[in-house]
Amino acid sequence: MSQFESEVGDAELDALFAQAREPNEADAGAAERFLAGHRVRVARTQAQIQTRPLWVRPRIPAKWLAAALASAAVIAGVGVLRPSLAPGDLPASAAYAAYQDALGEGW
Amino acid sequence: MRRFSVLALLLCGTAHASDADDLAVALKKARQWTARGQVEVSVFFPPRTLPTRTAAALPAVPFRPALLARNFTVTRSEGEAVAGRPSLRFDLIPKQGAAARWSLWIDRVWNVPLAFEERMPGGTLARRAAFVKVNGALSRVSGQALPPSTGLSAALKTALPGLRLPAGFTPVAARARAAAQEEAQGGTEITLSDGVNVLALIVAPRNVRPAVGVASVRVAGAGGVRFVWLVGNLPDAALKSALQGVRQVDESGLGTFTAAADSNR
Repeated sequence: MSQFESEVGDAELDALFAQAREPNEADAGAAERFLAGHRVRVARTQAQIQTRPLWVRPRIPAKWLAAALASAAVIAGVGVLRPSLAPGDLPASAAYAAYQDALGEGW
Repeated sequence: MRRFSVLALLLCGTAHASDADDLAVALKKARQWTARGQVEVSVFFPPRTLPTRTAAALPAVPFRPALLARNFTVTRSEGEAVAGRPSLRFDLIPKQGAAARWSLWIDRVWNVPLAFEERMPGGTLARRAAFVKVNGALSRVSGQALPPSTGLSAALKTALPGLRLPAGFTPVAARARAAAQEEAQGGTEITLSDGVNVLALIVAPRNVRPAVGVASVRVAGAGGVRFVWLVGNLPDAALKSALQGVRQVDESGLGTFTAAADSNR
């Protein structure tokens, strides 16, 4: 048997635990004070964000912004390059090869 | 005064005709005899990765003397020595259009070419071949006169209505394109010549990307959509203008010529 068990009996322990589980007025007061302070801090942060310029507001994480920009670049690139990437068109070397045939041997 | 002018013009004309005749004689001899040694060959059009290489003889230029005399003013002058051999220089300037101009250096003793040079209308060098070393004697070659192309002009006119051939050019050969050629799946290749320069006119089932010296147009063919390409050393505007009026193609009329060309290959 341990020294703790010798000093505090089972009945006292049960009473102690019951007292800890039941919120008392002191707990409610502390919680209320904390929540009030928290609300004030959140409100202050929101006010600061609203007054910042659009591009520095941390609403959209930077990684999403980078991903969106990369996607836009890919779409724009495909749009611009599409005519030359048309699968049906032969490269200009095909035309030069035909011309080379007509030039005569040895060129 | 007027008489003198007329006389001068006549003399001038005679001189040009004479220069063209002299050149024709040299080119005729070159079908059977050629100099050999070391030749530096440079090609800037069509573009290639390594423009300059060496060869043992001059490359072939499909000269057609009758067309050449019709389309070019030939002027003979003193030529600089080529590979240590004295030469005559012949300058070929197109009488009309924007075709490339040529210079040929003919050996004074052997009367065969020692160097060729093709320049674009602006003066930029397109092709050049010149001996840097020449052997002591000529070599025999089994060259043949280029076959005539009677009836090909009329057939081409029927096959590609609206085609406006660039000034001085006429069709001289036609052949069927092999199916394996750049996945071409058939088609026809027609060679146009002005006596010295050539253009390749191609009817193909696929289009080709535009580039320097390459123009193309989409047309209606018997079996569906076809594309006509025109490739050669002419300004892009001249190439495009030639194809501008082409809307349709009927290759059936060219079949006789392509079959004949194939049997000769």
